[in-house]
Amino acid sequence: MNADTGNAVTASAVDGGVEAGKGAGNVLEASSVEAGYGERSILRQLDLRIGPGEIYALLGGNGAGKTTTLSLFLGFVEPTAGRVRVDGFDPVAQPVQARRRLAYIPENVALYEHLSARENVAYLLDLAGQYEGDEAIDRALAAAGLQGSAFDRRVGGFSKGMRQKVAIALALARSVPALLLDEPTSGLDPQATSEFNRLLDVLRDRGIAVLMVTHDLLSAADVADRIGFLDGGRLLEEVAADGEDRFNVRALHRRYAEQAA
Amino acid sequence: MSPVRRIAREEWRALSRDRVAMLGLLLLTVLTLVAALNAAEHRRTADAERGRYQSQANDEFANQPDRHPHRVAHFGHFVFRPLNPLAAFDPGIDAYTGHTLFLEAHRQNGANFGDVRQSSLLLRFGQLTPAFILQVLAPLLLVFVGHNCVTRERESGTLRVLLSQGLGSGQVVMGKLLALLGFAGLVLLPALLALLWLAASGQAAWAPVLVLACAYAAWLLLWSLLVTLASTVFRRGRDALLGLLATWTVLVILLPRGVSDLAGSVVAMPTRFENAIHVEREYQALGNAHRPDDPKFAEFRDRILEQYGVTSIEELPVNFKGLVGTEGERRSSELFNRYAAEVFDLQERQNHLVDQYGWLSPTLALRRLSMTVAGTDLASFRHFLEQGEQYRYDLVQRLNRLQSGEITYADDTDPDKENRISHAHWQAFPDFHYQPFPVDQALRRAAPAGAMLLAWLAALASLTWLLGGRLGRAVR
Amino acid sequence: MSWLIHELRLILRSRLSLCALLLLLALAAAAVGIGLHEVARQHQAIERVGPLQEQDAAAVAARYADTGDPGSHAYYTFYGTWDAPSDAAFLALGLRDVAPFVLRVRALGLQSQLYEGETFNPELALSGRFDFAFVLIYLAPLFVIALLHDLVSGERQSGRLRLLLSIADGGSLWRRRVALRYALLFACLAVPVVAGMLLSGASMAAMGVVLAVVASYLAFWCGLSLLVAARNWPTVANATALMGGWVLLTLVLPTLANVALTRAIPVHQGVDLMLAQRQAVHGAWEIPREDTMRRFYDSHPEWRHSAPLPDGFHWKWYLAFHQLGDESVADEVSAYRAGLQARQEWTARLGWLLPGVSAQALLHRVADTDLRAQLDYQDRIAGFHREIRQFYYPYLFEDRPIGARDFADRPVYEASPGPSGSVGLHALLALGLCWGIGLWGVLCAGRLGLR
Repeated sequence: MNADTGNAVTASAVDGGVEAGKGAGNVLEASSVEAGYGERSILRQLDLRIGPGEIYALLGGNGAGKTTTLSLFLGFVEPTAGRVRVDGFDPVAQPVQARRRLAYIPENVALYEHLSARENVAYLLDLAGQYEGDEAIDRALAAAGLQGSAFDRRVGGFSKGMRQKVAIALALARSVPALLLDEPTSGLDPQATSEFNRLLDVLRDRGIAVLMVTHDLLSAADVADRIGFLDGGRLLEEVAADGEDRFNVRALHRRYAEQAA
Repeated sequence: MSPVRRIAREEWRALSRDRVAMLGLLLLTVLTLVAALNAAEHRRTADAERGRYQSQANDEFANQPDRHPHRVAHFGHFVFRPLNPLAAFDPGIDAYTGHTLFLEAHRQNGANFGDVRQSSLLLRFGQLTPAFILQVLAPLLLVFVGHNCVTRERESGTLRVLLSQGLGSGQVVMGKLLALLGFAGLVLLPALLALLWLAASGQAAWAPVLVLACAYAAWLLLWSLLVTLASTVFRRGRDALLGLLATWTVLVILLPRGVSDLAGSVVAMPTRFENAIHVEREYQALGNAHRPDDPKFAEFRDRILEQYGVTSIEELPVNFKGLVGTEGERRSSELFNRYAAEVFDLQERQNHLVDQYGWLSPTLALRRLSMTVAGTDLASFRHFLEQGEQYRYDLVQRLNRLQSGEITYADDTDPDKENRISHAHWQAFPDFHYQPFPVDQALRRAAPAGAMLLAWLAALASLTWLLGGRLGRAVR
Repeated sequence: MSWLIHELRLILRSRLSLCALLLLLALAAAAVGIGLHEVARQHQAIERVGPLQEQDAAAVAARYADTGDPGSHAYYTFYGTWDAPSDAAFLALGLRDVAPFVLRVRALGLQSQLYEGETFNPELALSGRFDFAFVLIYLAPLFVIALLHDLVSGERQSGRLRLLLSIADGGSLWRRRVALRYALLFACLAVPVVAGMLLSGASMAAMGVVLAVVASYLAFWCGLSLLVAARNWPTVANATALMGGWVLLTLVLPTLANVALTRAIPVHQGVDLMLAQRQAVHGAWEIPREDTMRRFYDSHPEWRHSAPLPDGFHWKWYLAFHQLGDESVADEVSAYRAGLQARQEWTARLGWLLPGVSAQALLHRVADTDLRAQLDYQDRIAGFHREIRQFYYPYLFEDRPIGARDFADRPVYEASPGPSGSVGLHALLALGLCWGIGLWGVLCAGRLGLR
């Protein structure tokens, strides 16, 4: 289906690293991007660079432009100015190549309710043109932390956390270099949030570039390498993790509250 | 204002802003008007045409020259089936039955020239009449418009709010039903006006018109109940829509055809060809009424001779040939009528079978009621054929009497004589006047179908009442 | 081909889709079964009337054998004709339930015998037959709608759309889903039909046409569903729009067209020609018999040498004026037929606009059960009737007695219909438009997405 003539991702699903694309420095890159719907401007002069093995959390209130930023990398929104690259590919001009290098996990992972976890991953992998048998899927599901007994259960009764694990397994099985997360921890209890964040640590170790948009400051501070504050379509400030404590959560919170006001 | 009316008014407001509802209503109204005008016009022209043909046939019969009466009996007569005024609303089987009946001595012909054989296959898609629109299309519009009347509140969460205001869930459902009924009233209105116009202008009697109006009102009420019920039972609007569409397809499209087909194969009909041969065979056994010396008429001859107190047919004061003709016609008509009644009985058995399925699909009950009351069903057609047959019998027997009274036996058996009698005789013959199927009888025949519709209504109403009151539980 | 397995699993796990497909298969199979049963019944009826007719003729022969009178034989003997259903007739029973497929005629005026009706129950005919044409034209689109109306909107409303589009190209995803559903629907319809056609021994050509009709009609509805889906409306709006389209295309527009057609091409000459023929036939008793014979010899000079009429009744005069009666209404007959044919032709033209009408017309043409088939049968009866007349005329006009052996040589009706109706190429072209809509829909599928 998706006949890709470019750099095919051939690395094995779970154990191997990610073969770097053309823009080896930054997997996700947005430079001076302007975007909007019709007259309405959503993003202004956005600059964002996320390298392999880096977790970037984009914080912002409602309407700050978080979802549009994700849509930009997915190719659902076309920038009116500036440059967007996924592993060196333009998501609008080269949608097939760009999508091959991305996995996207929406806020609420909706799956085919009448298929099992394994069948869902198999089906979606097949859509991506990367289905290579169920063994790789089982490994991915296990790596994503799903219990073996759930592999064959229909996802109709899965919790949000379990659904996310299925989606992460899909990303692992596709061995993509970049992962986009939309509000991953909303609606998760603290224990599930922590569990999810440890999963992200695993992704980082595999060298995947992760962009998560969220308004969960605590979770971001727990797992992110850098945190960006987005407001009114502008990236106001970037803070990088530093030392054992990573972030000064109190300072961050003050910063976040000021912005919201 | 009572809460029920309040909810109904809100629903009305929502409906009036619903583009699908308004567009559908507009389209259906236009269609109904086109259908009513066309059906009325078609009925008028068809009836006028048949009237014209009837007077042409009457003239041709009356204007025959001096002829031998038996020649006239073979010249025969045509009668044309007039079209009932309510055919402008529901033409029923009119297009599928012949309207031209040829009457002649010792033969019983079928009615010919039905539209169905003179039309392309388009006719089989149905006919655009007010009845078709109300039976088939109006329920569909109600489904589209009303399927989400309750589910919409449920999906948007406003149902919780309504119920938390202390409103009974039955009241919510009643309000929705009331609003949908108002809409159904608008759907019914154009057809209703067309119907009432037929009665007000004196074309049709009031009784059948009012019964038809009630029946179709009940039909739309039935669908309003069904739609509200589905909207109450299903959690999501799209599920209610799919369920209702499937129900409509089965009740309105699938079952009428399937059941008819079933009835046709359960009660098989002999071909006209076979019947004709069987009739012919029995007819031959009755004796040849053209030949007074046929041995089959010997007993009859002896009885006549005895009656007149003479010893030979030559001595009779009347023409024995005419008497034999009369006797032969009596015997053969009995034979024909027996076969005709057999065919009719088979057809009625088929129809009865179909009618039984009215318990399964109210469409069948409504159709039966509508056709019967409009006088466009099989019973009404049979009524015409039987009148035609009676007219034929009287006509032929009158000619036979002329033969026996006006021509002597000696002349009639002389092959060189033509034996014509005056054409004044034919001019004195009465014309055919069709008596429509009596209204009270039609209403009586329609009663079981009406009872089925009422039973459906009662069942759906109580189900709606029962489930409507339990809406609260579904919200939690 | 792993995508096929995955997509199949997706469809077959969905209870609604699976039920819909099985139901369509069952309905199509039932329709084929009912059609085959009805065709078998008609074959049986034809087989039944053959011997019956022979007995009837034998009785006449026995009654008049000693007279040697050809006139009595001609007058009293009926001849059976029949129109055996074609091998494909089970698909679309058409007019065969309201028009006779067995008809007996004799040597008298044909025009008073040709329009004889059949005994059928008009109330059942009003409902129509449950044949394959019904399943295809009315029901199949509903199944297409059921399977395709939420093709995209269903994914959107369940929240999977963004995830799906982040993985795969929407265009090819929708296309492969539609293609699979199309193939499954086609199989549900085609399998029973092919089985039925193999059973009834229909020709490969007929099967080809029928499958082409099924494929094209489904393509139209799939295309339409995709075009509606391309509007990116919610599921309910899609269902409403598609059902509205179905109602318009299969219920409203054909009936409106029928109204227009009956008005534009009025056909009432049927009664006219019957009345005219009766006047012509019975008028013969009022004019000098020699005048009648002269008119007959003018158009049939081969019998001019026949002896002059005797004083009394002579059968040759009787049959001559019957034939003259037919000939006197020849213009009315051709006008009547022309009217019917015009209706048929305009219906075919309408098929360019209404795919349902086009599919209906084509199926009935292949099945040989349409108006044209009726007219063809009438033509065959007319030809046979000519043979009957020509059989008796030498005996009548040359005053030869007819013996038992002569009578045994009387013409016998030989049905010569093709195994199934032939379909003109231009009729198939109308199907091209279905594919046009289908392809347009497929092209639009590429644009389906998040907007």
